[in-house]
Amino acid sequence: MLLAHRPAAAGLVAVAIALPALWAGEFHLRFLAEILIIGTAVMSLDLLVGFGGLVSLGHAAPFGLAAYAAAIASQSLGGNLLLVLPLGAATGMAVAAVMGAVILRTSHLFLLILTLLLGKIAWEIVFHWREVTGGADGLRGLPPLSLGPWELSDARSLYLLAAGLALAATTAARSFAAAPLGRALIGIREQPLRMTALGYSIPRIRFSAMLAAGAIAGAAGALYPFVNLYVGPQSVHWTLSATMIVMLVIGGVGSLWGAFLGSAAYLTVQTYVSSYTDRWQLFVGLVFVLTVLLLPAGIAGGLRSLVGGWAHGRNGNDRGA
Amino acid sequence: MQLLLAQSGNIMAGRAVEFLVEDDQARPEEGVRKARKLIGQNKVDILCGVISSGVALALRDVVTEAKVPTFLLGSANDLARKAASPYIVRPTKTNWMLGHTAARWTHGKLPQARALTVASDYAAGREFVGDFADTYRQLGGQLGKQIWTPLGNADFGPLMTSIAMERPDVVYGFFAGSDAVRFLRQWKEYRLNGRIPLIGTGAFFDQEDVLPAVGDAALGTVNTFQQSPTAPASAAFNQAYMATGKPLPGEFSTSGYACGQVIKAVLERMGGDISDWENARQALFASPVETALGHMPFDPRNGQAILDIHVNEVRRGQGGKMINTVVHTYQAVRDPGPAT
Repeated sequence: MLLAHRPAAAGLVAVAIALPALWAGEFHLRFLAEILIIGTAVMSLDLLVGFGGLVSLGHAAPFGLAAYAAAIASQSLGGNLLLVLPLGAATGMAVAAVMGAVILRTSHLFLLILTLLLGKIAWEIVFHWREVTGGADGLRGLPPLSLGPWELSDARSLYLLAAGLALAATTAARSFAAAPLGRALIGIREQPLRMTALGYSIPRIRFSAMLAAGAIAGAAGALYPFVNLYVGPQSVHWTLSATMIVMLVIGGVGSLWGAFLGSAAYLTVQTYVSSYTDRWQLFVGLVFVLTVLLLPAGIAGGLRSLVGGWAHGRNGNDRGA
Repeated sequence: MQLLLAQSGNIMAGRAVEFLVEDDQARPEEGVRKARKLIGQNKVDILCGVISSGVALALRDVVTEAKVPTFLLGSANDLARKAASPYIVRPTKTNWMLGHTAARWTHGKLPQARALTVASDYAAGREFVGDFADTYRQLGGQLGKQIWTPLGNADFGPLMTSIAMERPDVVYGFFAGSDAVRFLRQWKEYRLNGRIPLIGTGAFFDQEDVLPAVGDAALGTVNTFQQSPTAPASAAFNQAYMATGKPLPGEFSTSGYACGQVIKAVLERMGGDISDWENARQALFASPVETALGHMPFDPRNGQAILDIHVNEVRRGQGGKMINTVVHTYQAVRDPGPAT
């Protein structure tokens, strides 16, 4: 299923990424970069929710804390991409490791509550540690990102960077899901008892999934402050975790790439509908309810069955009977 | 702002003005995205507004990079100091202006008083109380306990008993919106009003948002504020505002209007063309603007307005209405500005 094995799909993705870079204006490029970065974080959440059945309400913690780590490091060491990105991924991984250690043996409601509380703790730290994080005011005055001699501060290079990250992260997540570890993760979601009987260690598998998701979310978080040259406590707040879940459900749980559609749909509604009414969240709610009722597999699932139906119609009854 | 545009028939300095509104939802990320939309997509010439200091600080680098003249109404001290920018004009107060003057007033009236402070625990509250405490201490005043409550506190009951137990000579406080309303109501329920003098920032006793909701609970309290419905400069605006069916104006409506007046002034001084912002800025700072907040000169170092800060006492006005009444005015209070 990797893109490398499907040249047609790979070409399509390349064109889809290149088009906006050529045509879109400054504002739209930055907006797309934001969609891709948040989408990457949502996609890493999909590893937990869609494959492991681990609904986490604290996924903003690895994302947001990595954003802070990257921002703080860049203030003293400069915005070198080769420093910022690994640092973000490592921070995300470390935060996920702490969270993973706590939730190893819980599930369902307790998992939800524990991740929520851990996220709250992360937010409290950020909000009250004024000397380091700037408290409610957040951090600004960040240097632009750079890679060697190139400065990556204009909208186009930020967009291409975000697209590159999204692509790399999706590839990594896909190979994780396709690997025996990913298969075992699905196994423990479906049949935990049988998996234990087969000799799999549920905590260990969950822990690796947390690490993988944390690293990806952290890498996305590392780029986030540089889109707007600002990072604030909102990026660690639990409402962002909840928003990620809404984006994931709208986009399609378990599809990975649906996460980007979900974040695009959500942010578009938020940005454009809110120009006309304060009640834009009503629209988000409406989209959410309609998705759950009509497209239980999200936009990604809907598109897939559309394409599937079209291919089916064209090829006659090769799949029937 | 809309009122001013309606009054001037959507024309300023001979140019038709198109007015676009976006909601920043008091969230920095959202505010930045909206500002980029207005700059990049709608190609606005001027940005104005933003009450939340967090959003204002987040916007600082965006508008400076895009070189868009911006009139920010957030009041964080840093906006006039570290975060000052040649593209930012600040036609409103900084938190320091209010905390500082409150300390001077308190010390002038009650020189021996032990002051307890109580405030919402977020950036603005920390600044108000911090600036009050610094000035008060410098003047030789004695500080008691400092109490912080989370933003959106539901019950101030336990707090009232601990304040009563401390027996301070005066309480300095800052709350805004629903926190202010709940605090003042309970302040009265616990019979502390009239016993302990209460002094605060203007938003704590806002004429439009707070006073109508608390009955006579705030009677006799004192606040320092750049805005007052009884200040002479505000009279014309009061009339126009109330003619649209609104109550006596508070801070937000007055600052919005004053901000519009400043924009109008700069447009008129430049004959409607501010594409050369460096010149426009100098023209604006060259002489004061007459606004609903009074005579408003600007500090050329940071684009910060130098304001008259009124000491308001909440008194019973006509028909028993509670009204912020000016009892003293500190002339031309100027923020210390960026460290040199």
